[in-house]
This record gives sequence, C-alpha cells and structure tokens, in this order.
Amino acid sequence: MSSLVEVKGVGKVYPGGAKIAALAGIDLTIARGEFTALAGPSGSGKSTLLNLIGTLDRPSEGTIAYEGRVVSSLDAETLSDFRLRALGFVFQAYNLIPVLTAVENVEYPLVLQGVPARTRRAFALEALDWVCLSEYAERRPDLLSGGQQQRVAVARAIVARPSLVLADEPTANLDSKTGAQLLDLMESLNQEHGITLLFSSHDGAVLERARRVVRLQDGRLKSDEARPR
Amino acid sequence: MLRLAWRNVWRNRRRSLINVAAMGFGLAAIMFGQSLIISLQLQLIQKATGSITGHVRVQRSDVDESKFPDKFMADPEPAAKLFAEDRRIVAWGRRIQITGLVSSPSASLGALICAVEPEKERILTDMSSYIKEGAYLEPDGKGIVMGRKIAGRLDVRLGEKVVLMAQAADGSMGAEAFRVVGLHETGSESFDGQIVWVPLKAMQEMLGRPGQANQLAARVVDIEQAETVAGDIDAALAPGNVRAISWKAIDREIISIQAFQNGILSIVLVIVFAIVALGILNTQLMSLFERVREFGVLMAIGARPRWIVRLILAESFLLGLVGAALGLAAGSALIAYFGRCGLPLPVGKAFSYFLPFPSVIYMLPAWRLHALACLSVFVITLLASLPPALRAGRLKPAEALRHV
Ligand SMILES: Nc1ncnc2c1ncn2[C@@H]1O[C@H](COP(=O)(O)OP(=O)(O)O)[C@@H](O)[C@H]1O
Ligand SMILES: [Mg+2]
Repeated sequence: MSSLVEVKGVGKVYPGGAKIAALAGIDLTIARGEFTALAGPSGSGKSTLLNLIGTLDRPSEGTIAYEGRVVSSLDAETLSDFRLRALGFVFQAYNLIPVLTAVENVEYPLVLQGVPARTRRAFALEALDWVCLSEYAERRPDLLSGGQQQRVAVARAIVARPSLVLADEPTANLDSKTGAQLLDLMESLNQEHGITLLFSSHDGAVLERARRVVRLQDGRLKSDEARPR
Repeated sequence: MLRLAWRNVWRNRRRSLINVAAMGFGLAAIMFGQSLIISLQLQLIQKATGSITGHVRVQRSDVDESKFPDKFMADPEPAAKLFAEDRRIVAWGRRIQITGLVSSPSASLGALICAVEPEKERILTDMSSYIKEGAYLEPDGKGIVMGRKIAGRLDVRLGEKVVLMAQAADGSMGAEAFRVVGLHETGSESFDGQIVWVPLKAMQEMLGRPGQANQLAARVVDIEQAETVAGDIDAALAPGNVRAISWKAIDREIISIQAFQNGILSIVLVIVFAIVALGILNTQLMSLFERVREFGVLMAIGARPRWIVRLILAESFLLGLVGAALGLAAGSALIAYFGRCGLPLPVGKAFSYFLPFPSVIYMLPAWRLHALACLSVFVITLLASLPPALRAGRLKPAEALRHV
C-alpha cells in the first residue's frame, strides 16, 4: 500500500493554554485504503492530531506531508483549496449547515469547487444513496435524527471523492445502536469504495471495528497495532 | 453562494425583519424629507418668480437693492428688443416700481407702486388670477388694482378713486387719481397690504417719464435656463449701466433658505444613516458570533477565508436590497399620497407673509435625491458589515470549530 499521509515529529503547544504540549513527537504514516482509529482517553490529544492532519491547525513543530507534499506550511487560502479537493470531515456534533437541505449540504463542497449545478446534484444524490438517505434529500437538518444527520455529514465528506476522510468522535453523540450503524456505513465505504478513513474514539466497542488502532496518551503515541480480520 | 446568503438572511427572521424595517423606515423618512423640501423650494421659487420677480430681469446695475431697482433706464428699448427676439422667453414686460403714497378721502398709506403692461403681465405673473372683485388692469386708462386689505385700510370700494403720489423726473411730486378696477386676495400681507398695481402708461405720464421703465421682467420656458438666458442677454446688451440678471441674483434669500434646508436635510440624512449602519453592524456582529462554528465547518469543507468574507457581504447586500426596496416602496407611496391629496403645512403661513404661498403642499418626487439616498443606504449597509466580514475571514478553522 502506498503511503498517503506522513506525520513526522509533530508536536503542538497551544499558545493560550498551559505550556505543556498537547502533542509531542508524533510519527505516523497512513496508507491509502486504511481504516484507522485514533484511541485514547479524553484529553489525550486525538482532536489535536486530527486537526493537524486535517490542516485545520498548524503544528508547533514537525511536518505533515500528503504524498510527499508538505502541507503544514501552506497559507490559509491554499489550505482551503487543498481541503476542498483532498479531505472530507465528519465532526462529533454533525455540524450541518442548518439553512440548507440534506442534499444541499451534501453538494456544498461541489458548489465550492464550481461544479455545474446538474452534475453536483447527481453526485450529491449518489452520495446520499450510499448513506441510504435518498428519501430525506429535501429535508432540513433539524427534521432529521442525530444518526441521520451524521450520515448526511458522512455523505458530505465523501461527495467530492477525497483521498482521506477524518472523523473526530463521530459516534460520541449517538446511541450505541445508531453508532454501530454509522460504523457499518463507514466500513462499507472503506471496503466497497476504497475510501481511506481516520477516526477517533474513546469507546472500546467502536475501536473494535477498526483495522488499525493508534493509541495516544498524554499527547504521545502509545501503541499502533493492526487488527487483521 | 447567493442561495446560502439569502437563506442566512432569513434564518433569524425577526432580527432581519427589524433590520429591514429600520432601513425601510429610515429610507422612506429620508425620501419624504427630500421630497418635502424640494417641493417646498420649488413652490417658493415658483411663487416668488411667478408673482413679482420674474425669471430674468434687465435693470440698472447701480441700484442699491436689485429686488427694487429704483433707478430708471435711459432707454429700455434695446433690451426690450433682445427679450422680444429670444425664443426661450415666453413673456416679458416693461415695469416701473416705485415707492409712493396712496390716499383716499379717509387715509394715506405708503405703498410700493407697480406699474406694468397689463396685457403682458397677465402671462408674466399670476397676479391677475387672484382678482376677487372687478377685473384686472387694462393697458389704457387710469385703473388701479390692489388687495382687499389695503383697500379696507383706505376704506375704498370698487369704482371709487384713490390718489397716487411719487417723485417725478424733475424732482417735483407727481400725483394722479386712479379708479379702483379690481380687488384681489392672495393671502399674503405684502401683496394684499403693501403693493398696488397700475398701467405703465399712466405712471409714465404721472412721473413725466414717457417711454421709460426701471425694469424689464421676463419669464422663460424652463426656469432652469434662467441663468443662461440672463447671461446671454447680458452679453448682448450694449456696454453701459444696464445689466441682465436671473431671479437667483434677486431673490437671494430663497437661495439661502434653500442652502439652510439642504444643510438640515444632510444632517438628518447622516443621523438616519448612522442609525441604520449601527443596526446592521450590530446584527452582523451578532449573527457572526452565533455562527462562528458554522464558518469553521465551511472552512473545513474547503471554503476559502475570502469566500466567507464574501458570503457575509452577500448577506448584507441582500439585506440592503430588501431594505432599500421596502424603503423605496414606502417612500414612493407616501410621496404619491401627499402628491395627490396635498400636505397641509403651517410653514406656508410663514412664507405667505411675503408671498402668495399656498398652505397645502402637493409633494413631488425628487428621484435623483431618492436614488442617492437609496444608494447610500446600500453602501452604508455594505460598509457596516465589512468589519464583521473581515473578522470572520480571519477565523482559524480549528478554533472556529471549537466555538460553542
Ligand atoms: N485550544 C486549546 N487551547 C489550549 N489547550 C487545548 C486546546 N485544545 C486542546 N487543548 C488541550 O490539549 C490537550 C489535548 O486535547 P484534545 O486534542 O482535545 O484531546 P482529545 O480530543 O483526545 O480529548 C488537552 O489537555 C486539552 O486541554
Ligand atoms: Mg476530542
């Protein structure tokens, strides 16, 4: 498998916070097609690492490279474009745009890319189909359940065919059954559509599902184990 | 983006409505003020020039007060010829204005005597339209027209005689008896109580100044052209002590009233705009604060910071558009209503001391000014949302996403 993301010697100290590092000395490589979980207790640095890999924040030290291209030093506009084309995000709190319908939310990355209206609607409907929400396409987020909203978020994350989808505790706001369904979905996206996924969780049952589990503790890498099926 | 912006505008319906209503109300109020002042000024100019001043006048350049040129022109005929030949001039007439004494058997009063060519004056001014008893002057004969007020003070009635006295050419006192042929009522103290009108010819005889006049007054097709026409006539006049001037050089107090009103209007404009701007700034800051996380999401899915700035500006643009449309509609409706039904205005009474001024104003739209006000509301809206927009553009995605 070819390597997609390479994290080298990354550390993060938050300027406002205590001067202890939220992350330190992280080396991590993620290959195309992986289905990886970031594990660790609350405050261990999972979100911080995901934000750094997702180029939403800059590391205090070290570099992050995508297919050999160092992204950690690019300017804000270039990073936006990079995220637009290469990354998809799912957040703990769904984070859909409340004034847009499900399908409009899903197609928004394509709007930003300047894809013509008809094409992007087709892509968006297809993505909604993958998450089994076709019949809710015209609903606004407030009329969807938490699980449904999170699936819409997943559809939005994959609609532009990113190389990597990052999900920070995607199941934390869902009950265990709905959470399990979301994991089913993510797994099938990974297996059937070859989407590379990196998600974080502190829930053991959720971590069970990953093929590789990277453990963090106090901002350091504790273990990195593959779980072949 | 416009779709998203539009929906964002209506996301907090009540807040946006309040904003739009404030903008609309402000704009409508400004339009009303503009229209009122413009209509008032127009009315004032029309009444002043249309009752006595005229649009363009030829008179001696060495008079003390250009409103009442008391010095006689040696020969008014070259200027009369210029007036007669100018196609921009609708009507013109020779006049003598002189202060004198009006006496009846029971009283004597000082008055301004206006000697006019009646057949020309009928078109030049609207004074003949105020006649309530009798008729307007005839060119020949010794008729006199005056207000009911002054007639009352003199205790004379239609058909009775009064004697006019004024200084003649040779320095002696000229005197003549005139029969009251018409009584008018304009509602103006000056016009009803202090001025009398007689035919030019009779006055020339009385003063021993045959063929002379102390002013030539003209009415032009388009009052906007008055200054140009005055300039052209002035240039065509032979060098000497006679010149042509427009009403603006004569009724200078109207010009200063205009400047004063325009100044007040500008101040009100600035205040209203400041209120609108603060409202928008406040709304946009609030809505920005509530949506920080959403901007984080948009940035995470690939929106550039500049795009976020544009989104917020687009929202203001739409808000401004709706507000301006509302204001324009409300303002136009208001002006149209008072244009048709008239607006009773106590200020008319104040003016009517000096002029025959109506106490009801029919409002006219001043589209150029209204458009300017509209545009200003618009620009102000955009400017007011610039600081919040730029602030949103500086958000860092990770921090924005953490925002609750
Ligand atoms: N914006 C911030 N400012 C200061 N400290 C922060 C900030 N975000 C996270 N931290 C700190 O960094 C550490 C890691 O946090 P985080 O990455 O959110 O952990 P996790 O997602 O695993 O719960 C914690 O100690 C947290 O308090
Ligand atoms: Mg976290």
